[in-house]
Amino acid sequence: MLVELIQGTEGGGLIIIQDSINYSGRTLLMSFIKAALKRDEVVHLLAFELHEAELKHELDHSCLQRLTFHNAFHDPLGWNENPPFTVHQFITTELDSLLTPNQHSKPVTLVIDSFSFILRHLSPSAVCKTLQQLKKGGAVKTTLGLLHSDMHHRNMVGSICHLATSVLTVAPGHQCHEAVAKTIRRAKSGKISQAEERFSISDDMSVKVLSKPIQVGAGQGDAGDAEVDPTANLTFNLRLSDQERKAKEKLALPFVFSKEKKSALLHPGPGSGRILYEPDANDDYDQEDPDDDLDI
Amino acid sequence: MAAPMKSMGSSFNATSFQKKTRSKLISIPGTRPSVQNGQLIVSTGVTSLDYLIGGGLAVGTVLLIEEDRYNSYSHMVLKYFMAEGVLCGHELFLASAQDHPDDILMELPAPILDDIASHSPLEGRMQFAGPHASQDAMKIAWRYQNLPKVQTALASSSRFGHYYDVSKKMEPEIRQAANCHAFYLPEHSMESSAPRSPLLGSYSALLRSIQEVIRKGGFNGAAPPSKSRNVLRIGLQSLGSTLWGDDLCCRDNPAHGHALTTFLYGLRGLLRSSLSVAVLTIPSHLIQNRAVMGNITRLCDNAIALESFKGSDRETNPLYKDYHGLLHVRQVPRLNCLLTELPDHKDLAFKLKRKQFTIERLHLPPDLSETVSRVSRGELAGAAAMGTTCGSSGNKHLDF
Amino acid sequence: MFAELNAILNTSPDHFKQEELILVSDRRADASFLVHHFLSFYLRAGCKVCFLGLAQSFSHYSAVSQRLGVSLTQAKEKGQLLFLEVLKESLDVLLQKTSNTESQALDFLRDPAVGLRGLYDFVRASVSDSGAGGEGDGGGGTVGRWGPPVLLVDDLTVLLSLGVSVGSVLDFSHYCFVTVCSQLKGNMVTLVRCEGEEDEDEDGDEEGSERLLKGLTHQCSLTLHVQGLPTGFCRDIHGQVEVCWRKTQKDKPLNQRKLFQYKVHDKGASFFARGTSSAVL
Repeated sequence: MLVELIQGTEGGGLIIIQDSINYSGRTLLMSFIKAALKRDEVVHLLAFELHEAELKHELDHSCLQRLTFHNAFHDPLGWNENPPFTVHQFITTELDSLLTPNQHSKPVTLVIDSFSFILRHLSPSAVCKTLQQLKKGGAVKTTLGLLHSDMHHRNMVGSICHLATSVLTVAPGHQCHEAVAKTIRRAKSGKISQAEERFSISDDMSVKVLSKPIQVGAGQGDAGDAEVDPTANLTFNLRLSDQERKAKEKLALPFVFSKEKKSALLHPGPGSGRILYEPDANDDYDQEDPDDDLDI
Repeated sequence: MAAPMKSMGSSFNATSFQKKTRSKLISIPGTRPSVQNGQLIVSTGVTSLDYLIGGGLAVGTVLLIEEDRYNSYSHMVLKYFMAEGVLCGHELFLASAQDHPDDILMELPAPILDDIASHSPLEGRMQFAGPHASQDAMKIAWRYQNLPKVQTALASSSRFGHYYDVSKKMEPEIRQAANCHAFYLPEHSMESSAPRSPLLGSYSALLRSIQEVIRKGGFNGAAPPSKSRNVLRIGLQSLGSTLWGDDLCCRDNPAHGHALTTFLYGLRGLLRSSLSVAVLTIPSHLIQNRAVMGNITRLCDNAIALESFKGSDRETNPLYKDYHGLLHVRQVPRLNCLLTELPDHKDLAFKLKRKQFTIERLHLPPDLSETVSRVSRGELAGAAAMGTTCGSSGNKHLDF
Repeated sequence: MFAELNAILNTSPDHFKQEELILVSDRRADASFLVHHFLSFYLRAGCKVCFLGLAQSFSHYSAVSQRLGVSLTQAKEKGQLLFLEVLKESLDVLLQKTSNTESQALDFLRDPAVGLRGLYDFVRASVSDSGAGGEGDGGGGTVGRWGPPVLLVDDLTVLLSLGVSVGSVLDFSHYCFVTVCSQLKGNMVTLVRCEGEEDEDEDGDEEGSERLLKGLTHQCSLTLHVQGLPTGFCRDIHGQVEVCWRKTQKDKPLNQRKLFQYKVHDKGASFFARGTSSAVL
């Protein structure tokens, strides 16, 4: 599902990448940008937390040329002279004027890095209204943004994600090159699909999914957390390789009554011993339980 | 402590010889340079507390005492601190919103003035415990023979500060010799001549009057060198309580949550550039917001907490029967040095003997009865660790 | 300057990475020894250093730097070090003695709600008037005597105690990052001190050092997180420090973490892998 989202086959909407201090979602965001540029889409990047030098480090030259960079990093609050873009310009009219210069009929992707900075300075309702306007259509086909979910109140994160068509939550994986993305996608029909995938991002910003997505039941609402796998962190081995299984199957268990055993018992060979016991009258045999430790 | 360091600044920095600077510093009565880092220190009046915080309180620092629930022991430590100042001839500044500072000064403990004579045998016994032990040599496994004698009372080898008898009050003649400034909040809240800083609230009058005393008394570095230097001891009682007009204690999210921390910041700045030292008590058990308490602690240099057994279930626990409460070291000062001397022991307890308040290492009482086995002692410690009454019942044998 | 830490971070005064925001944080331990490390490190590297001393007085830093072999007084006289001793200057502002215009840097002490723009203006003025253009690596003729500017802040949590909101502090550090790191190709080191345990399950609304730490972690490129030992107090190991590189580097993967234990000495500190303290081996 991650790959489909990056390829843009699902068609627009508002995509939010939620990250935390444990794993930054910025590289994934770059992969989205690069994929969109490869599709020949017009990409506008509104950057509050990312400076151009870093962008150059991440993307190659041909990509950079086709990307429209709006510098909201240098002076987001207007403390210096002539701010290029301030956070208070994050309203529909201002955004429209930013995006209108391109008159091609190509779909526009607006990338925002990050919502967290905006949410720190504008009221949540104003941000939500603007996002809703963007989602509704007009010039922008896809809006894509990063949200540091651990910096805000849970309810604020919830209300932003409520608007989104897709929410990607990224977290670090078990190995250092890996990460885990949990995707929740809401189709127009109201169908909810979820997937949890392991992925890694290579140097050229392409995303490789490492394991088959786990399709969690499709249904309305009920986006309960995926069960934690209790077998994930065991100190012993629960699974068997094919070889081990074969070896295990070969092993004859002591209590299994096999043909060989049966024949060995029925036809005792020569020289085998045998215990004979005949109780006699002097045997000390009583019905009582003198130690009182039996359950009679 | 900024001022003395600065005065000797370059010579101290350039060479490693410290003799010269020490002799210069020691000229103030009741002070001495620290063994560890050459810092000028004064005694708190409680010898074992001095030892615990690295010899004494460094001039220019703040000691925070988190009050015990009934503010009896912490108040006593504050009185010790002031009494020591009286005996050393230091100037005093005492501020309170609860009792009038003059009343508090009236209750200062009496010094044991001939203590040199009366205490040396006791001290000698402690120090020469080794030879004594060899005389009536106890039969002991050879591998334990050379272990150092465990000393429970905390004391340094050389004497610093005085001993006090808490059962008696200090004679008025001695007390009145001291130059004391009192700050009683109800008196100051009447006069509203000075503009009240919105940030500091009622603490602004306090900060201003401390600054006034420091400036007039020449405790800041700007004093003329001709005048003999002295140390100002500042005692502040129950800061942060509601009587100071603070709502830190009553609410989870106080409206003036920053008044006290801002005051402490100002106080820190004031002390760092003057020859003064402060002890303040705070009813931390009333402050619900732990983040605020953390900020307060960080703005002080030293921080200790007294936890009295009175009113807690630990009072009846036989493990603690020899003590009156526990002492926690929350923070040690880090001043003019990279390394701080950490106490080598973290389990500390205090007790109030008939005449004296001391801090000791916490240890189990000696087991003299023959019937008590090790197992039950383990149970006892377990119960203490859980701090609940159900602890002991939980250790009963399991029924199958 | 601790040589062992330099080896861990793969840096040296002659050759260090620029445009870095280094976050030093602590929990149940004291990370201020790392501030002294970075102060002496950048002074030796010949950087123009702007130091915001919020928690301690100048004489404290000076005395410690002396032990680390750097003289702050000399650096100050040479113009290499610019030291704002907030602790000392705050008094007059707090007691409203002066209303002169030059102390606008500390406007937040009069009213924390105004934010830290005044302090930022001070930082900008002090790092950019040095003439350390920082463009290129010394090839241009306009480059001043000193290397790229460095801003050190000890510590940001004090601002929270003085009533400044977390958002304002984050804005301040954002702007400082833009000016010092991004525009002037310098570095920035900040200290944040946290209290007690990590309360992960609490809602993310608490105004406090936790939120400040999270916000700054998102901004920074390298974190050094100092913690007390999980097993408790120990005389020979003072704690552990977790180093995390948060930005992609050529040879290192993203989010690489390393954990070391440390011990502070009189004139330095030693770092070692877990369980390899000389006291236990």
